[in-house]
Amino acid sequence: MAVSTTAVTAAAAGMPGERRGEGRRPGETDGPVGGGSPLGSFIGHAVLTLLSLACVLPIGWMYATSLRRPSDVYATSPLPWPLSVGNYRHAAEVIPIGPMLFNTFAVAALTALGQLLTGLLAAYAFAAWRFPGQRPLYLLFVGTWLVPFQVTMVPNYTLLLRLGLLNTLAGVVIPTLCTALSVLLLRQHMESFPKELLEAARMDGRSSWSVLWTVVVPNLRPALAALGIVLFINAWNEYFWPAMVLQRANSMIQLGLRGFLGGTEGNDWGGLMAASGLACLPIFALYVLLQRHIVSAFIHSGLK
Amino acid sequence: MSRIQIDGLTKCFSKVTAVDRVSLDINHGDFLVLLGPSGCGKSTLLRMIAGLIEPSSGRVLLDGRDVTFTPPRERDMAMVFQSYALYPHLTVERNIGFPLRSRRRPRAEIREKVREAAELLELADLLDRRPRQLSGGQRQRVAVGRALVRDPGAFLMDEPLSNLDAKLRTATRGQLRALHHRLGSTIVYVTHDQVEAMTMATRVAVLNAGRLEQVGSPTEVYDRPASAFVADFLGAPPMNLLPVRAESHSGRVRLFAPGIEVALWEAGDFPARDIVMGVRPEHLVTVPTTAESPMFRGRVETVENLGSEEVAQCAVGDATLLVRGPRPLGLRPGEQVAVDAAADRLHMFDQASGHRLRWRAPDVSPSPPASLSPPSSSPPSSPRAVFASRSARPV
Repeated sequence: MAVSTTAVTAAAAGMPGERRGEGRRPGETDGPVGGGSPLGSFIGHAVLTLLSLACVLPIGWMYATSLRRPSDVYATSPLPWPLSVGNYRHAAEVIPIGPMLFNTFAVAALTALGQLLTGLLAAYAFAAWRFPGQRPLYLLFVGTWLVPFQVTMVPNYTLLLRLGLLNTLAGVVIPTLCTALSVLLLRQHMESFPKELLEAARMDGRSSWSVLWTVVVPNLRPALAALGIVLFINAWNEYFWPAMVLQRANSMIQLGLRGFLGGTEGNDWGGLMAASGLACLPIFALYVLLQRHIVSAFIHSGLK
Repeated sequence: MSRIQIDGLTKCFSKVTAVDRVSLDINHGDFLVLLGPSGCGKSTLLRMIAGLIEPSSGRVLLDGRDVTFTPPRERDMAMVFQSYALYPHLTVERNIGFPLRSRRRPRAEIREKVREAAELLELADLLDRRPRQLSGGQRQRVAVGRALVRDPGAFLMDEPLSNLDAKLRTATRGQLRALHHRLGSTIVYVTHDQVEAMTMATRVAVLNAGRLEQVGSPTEVYDRPASAFVADFLGAPPMNLLPVRAESHSGRVRLFAPGIEVALWEAGDFPARDIVMGVRPEHLVTVPTTAESPMFRGRVETVENLGSEEVAQCAVGDATLLVRGPRPLGLRPGEQVAVDAAADRLHMFDQASGHRLRWRAPDVSPSPPASLSPPSSSPPSSPRAVFASRSARPV
């Protein structure tokens, strides 16, 4: 009734905007503004589906190959059948995969935690405090991101040599404990953190140190989780620096994977796929664990 | 209860002076409202009292102890913020108990005090909820509870009602008044809402551009504004401020402007000068246009219906005069109108400085003639000048 009354009134008043709506069924105007036509929606979904397949296919193929029988690694069927764990058994015989995964996990976790901690402290100082030279110092800090790894590689290596940290996991972790990425991202999040919360905590009797751990960190969990997984993946995928420092192939999984390539009988694809598949599992597990926080962080970042 | 003394407090942000040499003495149990328009420095002043901002100069004394550079946690003050600043990750119970945990009080004591505060503020059923699950009014009560639970020497409140709707604000005003009456605590309350100031304060401090314009009881600042700014800021609609010329005419003080002719007391000769005359809309009364000498003559332009009252906007010469009274006022747009007021309802302000003028009667001994004089070096906390003839020479 209301619709028809409006239509009659609009038509009688000769309102051009309303005339454009004549003949439409009421339900047709209920969609989101700019929702587009069904054809556009179909094309959009098709493109996204293709992109998703392009992302998922190599990973699916890796696991498919790893689960084939060793004699079937060159088979092209999308589903491995009959299933076999022979490649995994073979990979475990060729490299000490368990200790390698443990080492890699320990290095990646320590690196990510260290970078989170230093980033958190530096970002808190830059965001919550005002001190002379703050801006130039922050720009210098962020500017270190622009310095290529190759420039710092040799000095860091020399330093580790003098400190006697070559061939140790500590030597891999310590030079990477501070990264501009974590300072930059956490400062951005803290800048948008309500200042009144910090002031309220100070009025309620907390010191700056206590405010950080009892107010700021609990409310930055999504951002810390998202950044944590990015830092962990970066550290997990690192190849060159561990190879330089550790100087042996059986310490970390990325170095171990190299052992399946270019052997006297060519590449060992079955073992490589199985070891790679195992190397990806911790990352997947971490993502599943922190997924809720990560999605929340990205949503909030988008809204702010 | 604490006594807060502020001595010449100033805060400069690069080239901007947000608070300019403000001195105040806030007594035990005072409910002092810092009132002023946005950007006048009232929140900055409150934050300096709290210790959240370091002053550029001046001192803050708490019960005689200089706390100017003491960290907020070592001042015996609690603060309620405009946004309430509740910790989103904590339940209501843990929010209220937060200041006590900071002071490492025993768990049993914390539980007991939180329960008492929750019952007082009718939050007992909401203790397990998080702030996002509460309405605006409930959040505001939690913020008050968090301040209350500490039993501080003074409460600082930064526009705590500004996020509430009109009905809830009225109810909460009453609750805060009752709370102050019950606790007898010192409260410093920042607002730009004159209704909050008039209804809750025991004293009002009006700020303008970082400077203190006037301090006094709500009645004093409304009835005897120390400056044209205070006169204009307090009151809805605001006081009519009309530029007039004050001269001696037939031995009486007379104020002239197009459409305005006001005869005051006998005065003898004095130098004529331009001043600003103020009169509140509710102090004006309409008189028959045939009346012999009404103060104002003009034409009604609009009449606004406020429900129980009406406000008529009248053109008087080049100026606009607002007349407020019970509905119906009996005025219609376009008609001529004559308006009068009691002489003791008129206020005089210096045209240049805006300060209240007083009538300085001539001395008996040979001396300069009588004059309307602007204030001398009297402190702004007391009325800068009084129209002394009002009491000395009733009209």
